[in-house]
Amino acid sequence: MQENILEVRDLNISFSNYGKTSKVLRNVNLNVLRGERVSLIGQSGSGKTVTMRTIIGTLPTPPAIIESGEILYERKNLLALNRIERNKIKGSGISIILQDPLLSFNPVLTILRQMEDIIKYSDVRRGLSRGHKERKELICETLAKVQLFDNERILDSYPIMLSGGMRQRVLIGMALLNQPKLLIADEPGTALDVTTQKEILDLLNMLVANEGLSLLFITHNLGVVREMADRIYVMQSGKIVETNHRENIFNTPQDPYTISLMESVPPLYGKKVIDVKNSNPIPDEMIKISNLTKSFPVRTGFLNRITSENHAVKSINLSINDGDIFGIAGESGSGKTTIAKILVGLHQPSAGQIRINKSNLEQLVELKDYRKLIQIVYQNPGSSLNRKRTIAQILSVPLKFSDYTDKMIKDRTNELLNMVDLPISYSSMYPHELSGGQKQRVAIARALSLKPKIIVLDEPTSALDVLVQGTVIDLLQRLKKELGLTYIFISHDLSLMRNFCNKIAIMFKGEICESGETKDIFSNPKHLYTKALISSIPVISDLEESLKPKVTDEERSMVLQNTRKI
Amino acid sequence: MFTYLLKRTVTLLLVFIGLAILIFIIARIVPGDPARIALGPLASAQQVEEMRQEMGLNDPFFVQLWNYLAGLVQGDLGKSLLTSRPVIDDILGALPATFELVLFTVFLQITLSIPLGVLAAVYRDSWVDNFTRIISLIGVVTPGFVLAIILQLLASYQFSFFPVTGRVDPGLNFEPDITRLILIDSLIKGRSDVFIDAFSHIFLPSIALAAAGIGQVMRITRSAMIEVSRFDFIEASRAYGIPERVVTFGYMLRIASVAPLTILGLEFASLIGNAFVVEFVFSWPGIASYGVRTILQKDLNAVIGVVLVSGIFFVFANLFIDILLGIIDPRHRIREGSSK
Repeated sequence: MQENILEVRDLNISFSNYGKTSKVLRNVNLNVLRGERVSLIGQSGSGKTVTMRTIIGTLPTPPAIIESGEILYERKNLLALNRIERNKIKGSGISIILQDPLLSFNPVLTILRQMEDIIKYSDVRRGLSRGHKERKELICETLAKVQLFDNERILDSYPIMLSGGMRQRVLIGMALLNQPKLLIADEPGTALDVTTQKEILDLLNMLVANEGLSLLFITHNLGVVREMADRIYVMQSGKIVETNHRENIFNTPQDPYTISLMESVPPLYGKKVIDVKNSNPIPDEMIKISNLTKSFPVRTGFLNRITSENHAVKSINLSINDGDIFGIAGESGSGKTTIAKILVGLHQPSAGQIRINKSNLEQLVELKDYRKLIQIVYQNPGSSLNRKRTIAQILSVPLKFSDYTDKMIKDRTNELLNMVDLPISYSSMYPHELSGGQKQRVAIARALSLKPKIIVLDEPTSALDVLVQGTVIDLLQRLKKELGLTYIFISHDLSLMRNFCNKIAIMFKGEICESGETKDIFSNPKHLYTKALISSIPVISDLEESLKPKVTDEERSMVLQNTRKI
Repeated sequence: MFTYLLKRTVTLLLVFIGLAILIFIIARIVPGDPARIALGPLASAQQVEEMRQEMGLNDPFFVQLWNYLAGLVQGDLGKSLLTSRPVIDDILGALPATFELVLFTVFLQITLSIPLGVLAAVYRDSWVDNFTRIISLIGVVTPGFVLAIILQLLASYQFSFFPVTGRVDPGLNFEPDITRLILIDSLIKGRSDVFIDAFSHIFLPSIALAAAGIGQVMRITRSAMIEVSRFDFIEASRAYGIPERVVTFGYMLRIASVAPLTILGLEFASLIGNAFVVEFVFSWPGIASYGVRTILQKDLNAVIGVVLVSGIFFVFANLFIDILLGIIDPRHRIREGSSK
């Protein structure tokens, strides 16, 4: 029997807000053995972050109240320790890696200074005194562990000067500086592209094995868990609903919540995959993009002169048919959002031609009617809806600009709410009273208000939890059938696209490297980048894992090297 | 950093030239003949015409502007009609007193408002927070001159330690000839009696002048601190075991200070404007009494001079703040400077 490094016993925590108390953790029990990788999985609001904060000691009390429970780290109850004793464990016993690699840095200090501070203050606590040179040596050693070698440049940089993957590596390095025994990782890599995420997860696994660390990995992504955990805890509304070894959770999930989580993950391969087809037997061409190029000027120097051009999109050719769900996939910076913005007329193309419904885009953009033809749904409904307007007001804005009378507007907004399965009573509510999924439904309703033929969906589900994501996708599918829409679906989530789009174009550095029927792309990817991309997607079964295209590490780094910022 | 500095300096230089031209145009548009004012109502039309000729008022507008700007570069602001001395000398004589008052006021604003703002943020929603909120509200809503008069009344009836007028007791026989700022010179020369006396003189006017800014900057510091406290890296720093004191003052305050410093720079304009009133109330021998007199007398050369000097003040204060912000937050430099 191995020894526990961390044990949480009967933890009960509630939050008090203006006199109201609400329970956020109920009898949470979990333990991590020495050298074990444990995963805590749950959706947003399930209490996993509160659990993490209680363990690392950054839970703000008040508003939080720790009602009962113990957190034992190497048999010491952390909740009973005084501040000095507790601080000794911070950083040197238990360390953390937070989710967002940019926000986790102090933006105004160099990497060197931040890392030195961590060593310096832990030395103070432990009564050591190491000089600047020794500290720097330790930092360089640690950076080597996370496979960063360009030390001088990295250490003198400010966080914004590094690329996302590099920041995440440095962040892991920071967590390792004081030789912790337990590493708590809160969704590391979720803010990164899949290919980079894959590298980071591999790195973490290697470190845990080499350094003999224990890992508590907090995430909402089942696919990631499969690669990162020996044992799994499933958390739902403040309770641990199921715990078991990885194989058991994935092969024979017991709790209905775990099962629903499993089913909500869109499969990449296997029987459950839906092959989407265009419902029109002989579809017309809806959008034709030829030689589309968009470049942005780069201004530098004293006079802000244009010194070079940044090509966001380079000579793209696409043909989208009436009734298609056309997926544009790619990682951040690949140019997919630029295409979306050009299509809805928010950017002017630098060169090339777009024909929509057999008319030229340049002639159309000026016309009001154009807005009735093509609309957009944005990624984050929290910021795409005006917080100061009621739902009815939000929905009526497009109508007001197109000769609807007040009576017609009211009827139309009610009709729209009906279409997206929201009760009419919601029309007087404000966005903040709605959940994320409901807000996205409102955003979809707004896009539909002028009865467009084409809707551009810019990552419409990536800000939502998996379960909610499923219902929004179902809604989109139903609306498409009922209204005969054409979708342009922009996303980085290939497994979702596999089950939703009938055609896909993969973008890479502003160019389309591969496009075609979704089924063909997944069963037989041709371009190396497509292969690397698909093989990086975390999946939830061994079957899918075995069906992924095989890409060696060398091939992967070769194709990805070009995309990396310096 | 160099490009950043150069960019800032050039911008400010342009602002300054623009200001000089604008104020010159305004001065020429306002009704009233400077020559007539200089000579008084009894002068004959011919005398006025001769005076106009002598003052160059009959030259074409652009010639006047050119001569004016050329003089400006050499530090020549023309002659005051009121005192018949070069404007520059009058201003330089009165400037140190105002400069000292404004500097001390800014000092008070920074030392009072930023710590109070930090306290209010750290003990959010407690009595400390509420107390500072009330103080800042009172400070913001009370006009400077009302506060000045109230303070003066209080000083004359209750707290006799604070004199109600003047800059320093003339009986102390002190000549501030090093920096021309009494507080600093008395320290350099080791005259503690002068320092205490000057301090008691400057304290009330500065409080009256600082109140509004203190209130604003305090609230802005508070909200900036609260915003920064929500950043992930603050949680990360705590979890890595960085002591709370370093997190609050070393990390959070440094980033949070960007907003209050920017406001302080902008506040400078209203500080100079308010100084006119406050100096008047406390008979402070600064540029204000000179400015007000010249405005009332339509002594245009002097008015232009006073406005320009106030402008220089403002422009330099903001240059200083811009440089400070560039040091505090390297992102300003990285975005605007040469390294992309």
